[in-house]
Amino acid sequence: MGLFDKLAGWLGLKKEVNVLCLGLDNSGKTTIINQLKPSNAQAQDIVPTIGFSIEKFKTSSLSFTVFDMSGQGRYRNLWEHYYKEGQAIIFVIDSADKLRMVVAKEELDTLLNHPDIKHRRVPILFFANKMDVRDALSSVKVSQLLCLENIKDKPWHICATDALKGEGLQEGVDWLQDQIKTMRT
Amino acid sequence: MEACPGGGQWLDAHYDPVACVNTFSSCVALADLSGDGENRLVVGDVGGSGGMKLKVFGGTALLSDSSLLDLPAGLAAFFMDLHEPRIPAVAVASGPSVYVYKNLRPYFKFTLPGSEVNVLEQDVWQQVREGHIDHVTLKEMLESIRKQADVPLSVRSLHFLSLDAAATDEFVQLHKQQPIRRQTVITCIATLKKSTADEDGVSCLVIGTESSDVYILDPEAFIILSKMSLPDAPSMMDVTGQFDVEFRITVACRNGNIYILRRDSDKPKYCIELSAHPVGLVRVGKNVVVGCMDESLQAFTQKGKKLWSVVLPAPVTTMASMDLPTRGFQAVLVGLANCEVHLYRDKNLLSTIKTPDAISSICFGRYGREDGTLIMTTKSGGLIVKILKRTAAFEDRDGAHGPPPAQSIRLNVPKKTKLYVDQTLRERDCGAAMHRAFQMDLSRLRLAATKAYVKALESSLTPMSSSLTEPLKMNAVVQGLGPSFKLTLNVQNTAACRPVMNLAISFLYDESLYRMRNPYMRIPLLVPGLVYPVETFVECTSDKGISDIIKVFVLHEGRSVPLLTAHINMPVSEGVTLN
Repeated sequence: MGLFDKLAGWLGLKKEVNVLCLGLDNSGKTTIINQLKPSNAQAQDIVPTIGFSIEKFKTSSLSFTVFDMSGQGRYRNLWEHYYKEGQAIIFVIDSADKLRMVVAKEELDTLLNHPDIKHRRVPILFFANKMDVRDALSSVKVSQLLCLENIKDKPWHICATDALKGEGLQEGVDWLQDQIKTMRT
Repeated sequence: MEACPGGGQWLDAHYDPVACVNTFSSCVALADLSGDGENRLVVGDVGGSGGMKLKVFGGTALLSDSSLLDLPAGLAAFFMDLHEPRIPAVAVASGPSVYVYKNLRPYFKFTLPGSEVNVLEQDVWQQVREGHIDHVTLKEMLESIRKQADVPLSVRSLHFLSLDAAATDEFVQLHKQQPIRRQTVITCIATLKKSTADEDGVSCLVIGTESSDVYILDPEAFIILSKMSLPDAPSMMDVTGQFDVEFRITVACRNGNIYILRRDSDKPKYCIELSAHPVGLVRVGKNVVVGCMDESLQAFTQKGKKLWSVVLPAPVTTMASMDLPTRGFQAVLVGLANCEVHLYRDKNLLSTIKTPDAISSICFGRYGREDGTLIMTTKSGGLIVKILKRTAAFEDRDGAHGPPPAQSIRLNVPKKTKLYVDQTLRERDCGAAMHRAFQMDLSRLRLAATKAYVKALESSLTPMSSSLTEPLKMNAVVQGLGPSFKLTLNVQNTAACRPVMNLAISFLYDESLYRMRNPYMRIPLLVPGLVYPVETFVECTSDKGISDIIKVFVLHEGRSVPLLTAHINMPVSEGVTLN
């Protein structure tokens, strides 16, 4: 298998991996995905996602297919239909929205307790986004408010990001790539 | 953030016990004041600790506060024009004026037209100005005008009448040059869409005044479009419809009635007379739900027909409607004085929210980016924000109301027997005689009972002492199967603080039947309140299986009349019968 992987790598064929991008509305999911795409494919204007959209981008060894789900309240019940396909989850949090941190926590808890997710070792990457906003909470504070320390059976990682400038995104994606690789082997 | 029992449908987003917001439901509104899609909370703070302020909250923070000139009576956010970006204006009603703020800056002030002034009052003040009369005469004349009063006095005259003699001089000097004006005061404010039912359509302001009038103002020119009059001063108001098409104004007035005004009529069309004064008024669909001072929640149709009424566990402090159009959900939130907020859909209690303090205002709607947000302020100035869970489902818990299901089960009632029919016939024929006989027997029974009681009192036969100096109580317990019995007498001194001394107990019994170990006992000093058990043993000497009464006397030393007497019915000695 290892040899085949290397061979595939030389040939430029990369492993496909499905990732779900979740989070409340206006947290910056589409902006983050847009930043991860190659610069010539990036969109200029980001509008609220309706339903969901499928985006693709590549890292050094993996080819990501991202289901960019809409975060609006009325579309959040769509999320669970894609849990089965997802091999990893990106959960985006608006660090500046203190009021709705409880809503983010509620949605995260619902996600973690869903039968399709509960018993799988799905890596979860948290982006504490909007660090550029003046009153934004630190990533430590966000992980406290979301009680991330209670997630024991899944690998997780939290990154402070600023999706407008792209800061912190690469660190998170590198972690995700490592996790997926270790899962495979 | 604390856990909230019974409110599993709500997320505790924010609680600030020292937010210093003292307000009422009429002075709270949610509006997108910056046009960025995030709703802010606008509060007309009536002050208390600080001054009167117009406060704006966004998220968990206070974004701005600006001073208000007068006590706010009501607050409304409305679109006054069609300019882009669509930013609503805020109207604050205080005193006789409506202050309109745009972008949180004072934009316009509308003052209600003055009312007619009493001609006599005007004459009197005119004379004062010219120096014809002094203050004592002025006071007398104003008093007499006030008594006749077909047109009430102005605020100035009323203020003058309430002053001390010493202060009148200065007051007159200060005010006599100004002409008299009589201004009414705004009591409530609401908005009415002008021509479209759109969410962001231009709205008119609807104003209720102390002079029992309702005005509808044009949003752009601020002229009075329509004026309607009511029988009494309005206190709460709900408006629905569009000004150019058809509208209804439901007004709760101070006389405890609710009036319904419609387009094309300057007098109320319908009147609802309530059992008690209204505290909160909310419209749900086409019905009106009113919380009353007699701790009840009542619903009426648009035409004043009563639909239902529910008794509440505590007085109502405030009410608000909970409207979630995306889920087709409409309910009424009722804040109660026992620190709870109840949610009613029709007459069914859906959920109860416990709050750390009594609630003074409730507002439900879109706050920030969250549609189902409940904002409450407490009496002590706290601010509570709760968010409705996306997965929340409200079920009608209709257990306590209405007839129980068992009521509809038919009982197997037996047929009428001949005896029953005969008895019924007899009762019908000689009912009067039966009643008389019953009454006579009842009187006899009462007489016999009274006689026995008097006899018992006279011979101290009761187990309760009627003597004032030695109030005693006694009860006796017989234990055992025989032939040996244990007799326990519990003696208690029921006096408040005085002990009883020099008491003895003696027994009277048939000596051929019973033998007693010590038929005479001295009782120790009785401390008030305590129960003293006095025990002795009785042996039955007869083997014929018969029993007798043992009489117990509580005696005072040196007196022959017993204080207490008790008759103990001894049980049959089973030990003997077995032999």
